[in-house]
Amino acid sequence: MKRKLLFVLAIAALALSACGGTPKTEAPKTTPVNSTTPAVTEPPVSQAEKKVVTLIYTQEFDNLSPLYTSMWFAWTTWQMNNHWAWEFDEKNEPFPRLVTEIPSTANGGISADGRVITMKLRDDIKWSDNTPLTADDFIFTWEMAVSPKNTVATTYPYDAIESVTAADPQTVVVTFTEPFAPWLATLWHGILPAHILRPVYDAEGTIDNAEWLKNPTVGCGPYNFAEWESGSYARFVRNENYWGTPAKIDEIFIRFVPDDASQIAALKAGDADLGTFISYSDVPGLKEAGLNIMVEPNGYSEWMFFTLNKEQSNPAIFDVNVRKAIAMSIDRESINRDLLLGLTKVPASFWDALPYYNNPPLTNYPYDPNAAKALLDKAGWVDTNGDGVREKDGVDLVIEHATTIKEIRQDVQAVMQQQLAEVGIKLNVNPVDDTLYFSSYADKGPAAKGEYDIQEWSDGPLFPDPDLYYWKCDQIPTDENPTGENWFYICDKELDSLITLQSTQVDAVERQKTISKINQLFYDKVYLIGLWQDPDVYAIGSRLKNVKFSGVTMFFNIAEWDLVK
Amino acid sequence: MGRYILKRLLQGIPLLLFISIILFLLMMNMGDPVATMGGRRVTRSSDYERLRRQLGLDKPIYVQYLYWLAGNDWAKTDLDGDGIAETSGIRRGILRGDFGASLLARKPVLDVIGERLPNTLILMVASEIIIILGALLVGIYSALRQYSFMDNFVTAILFIAYSMPIFFIALISMYIFAVLFKRWGLPYLPTVGMFDPQIGRTTAQVLWHMILPVLSISLISFAAYSRYIRSTMLEVMNQDYIRTARSKGLPRRDVVFIHALKNASLPIVTVVGLDLPLLLGGAVVTERIFAWPGMGRLFLDHVDRVDLPVVMGILMLIAVAVVVFQILTDIVYAWLDPRIRYEK
Repeated sequence: MKRKLLFVLAIAALALSACGGTPKTEAPKTTPVNSTTPAVTEPPVSQAEKKVVTLIYTQEFDNLSPLYTSMWFAWTTWQMNNHWAWEFDEKNEPFPRLVTEIPSTANGGISADGRVITMKLRDDIKWSDNTPLTADDFIFTWEMAVSPKNTVATTYPYDAIESVTAADPQTVVVTFTEPFAPWLATLWHGILPAHILRPVYDAEGTIDNAEWLKNPTVGCGPYNFAEWESGSYARFVRNENYWGTPAKIDEIFIRFVPDDASQIAALKAGDADLGTFISYSDVPGLKEAGLNIMVEPNGYSEWMFFTLNKEQSNPAIFDVNVRKAIAMSIDRESINRDLLLGLTKVPASFWDALPYYNNPPLTNYPYDPNAAKALLDKAGWVDTNGDGVREKDGVDLVIEHATTIKEIRQDVQAVMQQQLAEVGIKLNVNPVDDTLYFSSYADKGPAAKGEYDIQEWSDGPLFPDPDLYYWKCDQIPTDENPTGENWFYICDKELDSLITLQSTQVDAVERQKTISKINQLFYDKVYLIGLWQDPDVYAIGSRLKNVKFSGVTMFFNIAEWDLVK
Repeated sequence: MGRYILKRLLQGIPLLLFISIILFLLMMNMGDPVATMGGRRVTRSSDYERLRRQLGLDKPIYVQYLYWLAGNDWAKTDLDGDGIAETSGIRRGILRGDFGASLLARKPVLDVIGERLPNTLILMVASEIIIILGALLVGIYSALRQYSFMDNFVTAILFIAYSMPIFFIALISMYIFAVLFKRWGLPYLPTVGMFDPQIGRTTAQVLWHMILPVLSISLISFAAYSRYIRSTMLEVMNQDYIRTARSKGLPRRDVVFIHALKNASLPIVTVVGLDLPLLLGGAVVTERIFAWPGMGRLFLDHVDRVDLPVVMGILMLIAVAVVVFQILTDIVYAWLDPRIRYEK
């Protein structure tokens, strides 16, 4: 009896695998809106004949709705089952997608005072259930973004808008309270279907619990969302009702593989066609296995930021000559060559990925330990007691440096420590777990509290926009303002006024001049030292072709992707 | 026995309440969930304050705990930040079966857990069965053939496996049986996931994809369990009643599997009873490496993003399971050993 019981339990456990009953988010097969609307169906081919492309994501998206997430991995899906009003190509240049042309002062799309943006929509765009996509959807998206009843991830930049109206179904008029320069990079990152969600909002007062947020079954992109099994995979199938050129691939299968080594193994074994966030150390092995590596600038670079926190920082770093000396004591070229395998380069400007704004282009401070020593001598930092560390007024030139425990960062910390020791600077390295490191000021996060003299992370402007609002004085976190984002604790009045000015300059030429001044100021005052550019690195399997990437709308040409026969 | 079970269940209630308070306090110091909602950037100041208010994270800890326990549909909150608490809450609290909603996925916690639990049970139950059956076979054999060549050989192999970290076993087995075997033209196993998307989710596919993760989990625990069984069997085999059974002429199989094993299995039942609820927690490292969508990964992902409702839901589920399985262990104990009685 007991043996039979054990046997039955064993079989039951194995039979669980046959259930296939794992709850997952699945799109209903057909949801016709009205009697004349054709049902959305999958192409009638066998599983084996289907062109299926497998992508590996190292992080699972938290949800798929525009407005409700800021995850990079979720953003990629908005070129699959949704669209931005305008998207960005492989050169990170904007091109119209849902609009007929990018608004500008020349075409009358931007008013003289810079406050009003008028967008002309294409008249052929429709949702996958054949409902036309009109200005009403844009109005609804804005309303939902700013509604205090919705727990959206961010209200920016929609909270800067005074009104969004429709001059006609294909004309959207956006009126800002003040001229808003970053509009091109920040507006309309995915559109919500008003005909699906407005009834939910009217009934419940919020769209937080709308089924569409979990099952975005109706979309306007080349693919339709099909299903998402938590922790396992998500599937998108070709949208047969797509208003644009139909996608060539039948199905996009996204597999969530959190471990980097496992991702690499899967790519090498041919179990996936595309990998994301590839480490530089894995690139040679992947190339050897026949994969292509593509690198796409995304505005991010790895920077060392000087924390000018009067309450905590070593007085040495308040001296620009000391900061210059540090910049000239680190051989960043050799770090890129040896530790990053020469696959990236040292950024000279915060706007390296936006050459228009890095104009005239800056050049890096050279690696010159002798010049660094001379600067330190001139600044009064000398080693009087022969312990190898310079001092001044009784204060040792000991710099506290912090970054996360990511392996490449720890390797680079070790190299910098050695190189700075050669010029008489002692660098204390402080690797911190990233969740703790980036904790908020209220949670006593060390970076937010400005606890270290040099704090390192990957950062950039609001790419592809050059804005950098968080460098302003009023963004320094305090007990009264704990959510301040100026974790550099830099309060530079000249910088402040330039940042404020550029955010209102809708005219690109004028804005470029202002950003160039900020660019030069960063260089002259050495507020930050660039270590390496941090682009998106992809590994593409040999059977996938026509693939291009953007640093902004990552999979902008996914409809053109195809498989080699 | 019935009264004993009821008594144990009732004792479990204050225990679970105490556990929930400790866990809640620990989780509140885990980090700031809103700080991670900005994507690659720090959450903007205006969004930070709004989200904390909307998600109820601006309330004092004891209020947040009370809402988690008893809900907030009896209270009003200031959702729109105008200073007036006019919006009724919608949560019913864990005492009424509402575990809340994930701060990230915006889905009910029970749905989030329910999506992963079957995958974990598939993997962990299969692994546990293989561990127990295999360990029984090896442990009994080793005890009966103590110090033989096979005993020493198997012991050596098991100790080598036991001393390796699981991530090493997982990765090396993946590289050998999936990557290299394929490269060498041999039949190969899959690397990650539960099935091949080109084929679809079938029983055969899931079983095929289970091989490497189950092997990785089993190998280490197998070593420990088999040594434990060997040790208890050796102790029992030297008892007088076993000698009596042998001298009475009972078949060897009956002596080993009926008389010896039954008595040797009492301590093992305790160990298995302690392990079973932990199955619900999944195998964090294995699931991560093989991209198996189980509870271990769910826990890790949501701890990383400080998703308090999901983390509390998982921990309380495991706490309840521990209490329940402890009671079950006691029952099995009494079943195995007629001398054990819990009531007068």
